Amino acid sequence: MSVKIAGELQSGNVIIVENSPVVVLKAQYNKSGRNAAVVKVRAKNLMTNRISELIFKADEKLEGVMLERKECTYSYYSAPNHVFVDADFNEYEIDEESLSDITKFLTSDMTDVCEVTFYEGRSISVVLPKTIIREVEYTEPVARGDTSGKITKAAILKETKHELQVSAFVEIGDKIEIDTETGEFKRRCT
Amino acid sequence: MVVVNTPSDSPDDRMRWDIFCKVIDNLGDIGVCWRLARQLASEHSAAVRLWVDNLDRFSNLCSAVTPQSTTQHVDSIEVCRWPALFPDIEPADIADVVIEAFGCDIPANYLTAMNQRQVAPIWINLEYLSAEDWVEECHGLASPQSHSPLKKYFYFPGFTPQTGGLLREKGLLEERAAFDEVARKEFWKTLGIPAPATEELRVSLFCYENSALRGLLNDWAAGCEPIGLVVTSGLAARRVSDWIGEPLSERGIVRRGSLTMYGIPFLSQWQYDRLLWSCDVNFVRGEDSFVRAQWAQRPFVWQIYPQAEQAHLAKLDAFLSRYLNSFPDLCGVRDCFYSWNGFGKMAESWRKFTENRQLVEQHGKVWARQLDQTGDLANNLDRFVRGNLGIPLL
Repeated sequence: MSVKIAGELQSGNVIIVENSPVVVLKAQYNKSGRNAAVVKVRAKNLMTNRISELIFKADEKLEGVMLERKECTYSYYSAPNHVFVDADFNEYEIDEESLSDITKFLTSDMTDVCEVTFYEGRSISVVLPKTIIREVEYTEPVARGDTSGKITKAAILKETKHELQVSAFVEIGDKIEIDTETGEFKRRCT
Repeated sequence: MVVVNTPSDSPDDRMRWDIFCKVIDNLGDIGVCWRLARQLASEHSAAVRLWVDNLDRFSNLCSAVTPQSTTQHVDSIEVCRWPALFPDIEPADIADVVIEAFGCDIPANYLTAMNQRQVAPIWINLEYLSAEDWVEECHGLASPQSHSPLKKYFYFPGFTPQTGGLLREKGLLEERAAFDEVARKEFWKTLGIPAPATEELRVSLFCYENSALRGLLNDWAAGCEPIGLVVTSGLAARRVSDWIGEPLSERGIVRRGSLTMYGIPFLSQWQYDRLLWSCDVNFVRGEDSFVRAQWAQRPFVWQIYPQAEQAHLAKLDAFLSRYLNSFPDLCGVRDCFYSWNGFGKMAESWRKFTENRQLVEQHGKVWARQLDQTGDLANNLDRFVRGNLGIPLL
């Protein structure tokens, strides 16, 4: 058992709510003007699998749960679950809903080392590395003359078809680095 | 054992509400709570108890409040002193609905009694007003506790149907529409201020510290257009007095060039509404006067509550985006608001704003109609609470 500050909640954290463990699927911080800083949380109750949206003051102290974590790699998709495998080739299934924010980056050939979280032996969430590299399947032709990176355009990733904004100089087939926490393009690798 | 979602066990049939409010550095917070309390009592048959930490300050806003009394009834509201050491309270004495206004933390022993109450109360955190998009996503969400079935709901006032709306008493718009020239003249008479002359622009001033004020007063005094400035008591009167070089007393009149300044006593909420309805342009601040200026349907300029690191600008931007959404801003509204909040040239933007005053006023009427469609906050809140308690609507 541990104390979790609401403002520091991240996907994959497990907290106790009304005596039940809930896993955070998404946490969104909001603050402006005189309003209290708040965190809107999309969470799944691990006992009932019910998903709900909650809100906390950012400075609220919540009861966290110490969890077991393992390094794994992505293996394959078997509807409705994604399967991850550890160094001893043990397989762990996690349903699509629990991976809501990262499925857009899961590809069959990915070698990224992910962190799988377990609650009472059950795999409940996955955190990707801080940055990952993915291939651009399609983007509009390069806008000539601009190499500053300030002008952006849409690009579609190979396999997942996820669309994101990239610098104008990025081309089809380029490998790009993506920040998995923000989901934003960081730089071109090739 | 706390039981949730069962109806009130109040001895009379009225739903009981406890509203907790801390008076901060001005009377905005208690102003909102006082309006809400009266509306709940008069329009929703609620038994309302209002806990206020500073009855001295509250008595400025409501002269019927006796600061020395621990408990008193004013306008059918039970007004209670919120002492630093809150007395222990029986679970049966906890209201059906508990509102902590603007994130003021309710006393720990009251919270303990909430947990022990046979029927769990509905616990509301009433937040500050904001036009930002995220407010719609967070409005009405529950904030559960780790080991208690008590849920605190975040309730956000706002400008769209996806929020709690704005406070607006039943019949306010009808009263506003019926406030004609005769009523206006009568109102000026009660303040001891002459009705505006034909060419005069009558302006009300209610503000925080404002770096644009002195320049604006200089321009008004040196300009050709006669300006009648009604200065609210408190900070605005002190800063105008500083500019004049002598005190602007309550009911005092001071002239500088084209500018005539009128000092007035602290007005009740009812009187302040009439002041807003009577002026050609209103300078307002914070939340309560800002909302009332919109219901007044007169051109207004808003000074937002300033925050460190300009954190308030996002809120100002969000409001202007909504307010000017259907109104091509050829009239300098945005510039005028920004200048009054320290970003721009007030003299230029004021000139453009006043030149287009009629258009801004027309837009104000359209805007108020739009706001009216979101329903008023007290009514929306009552419905929200009844929905969560499983009690039929009145």
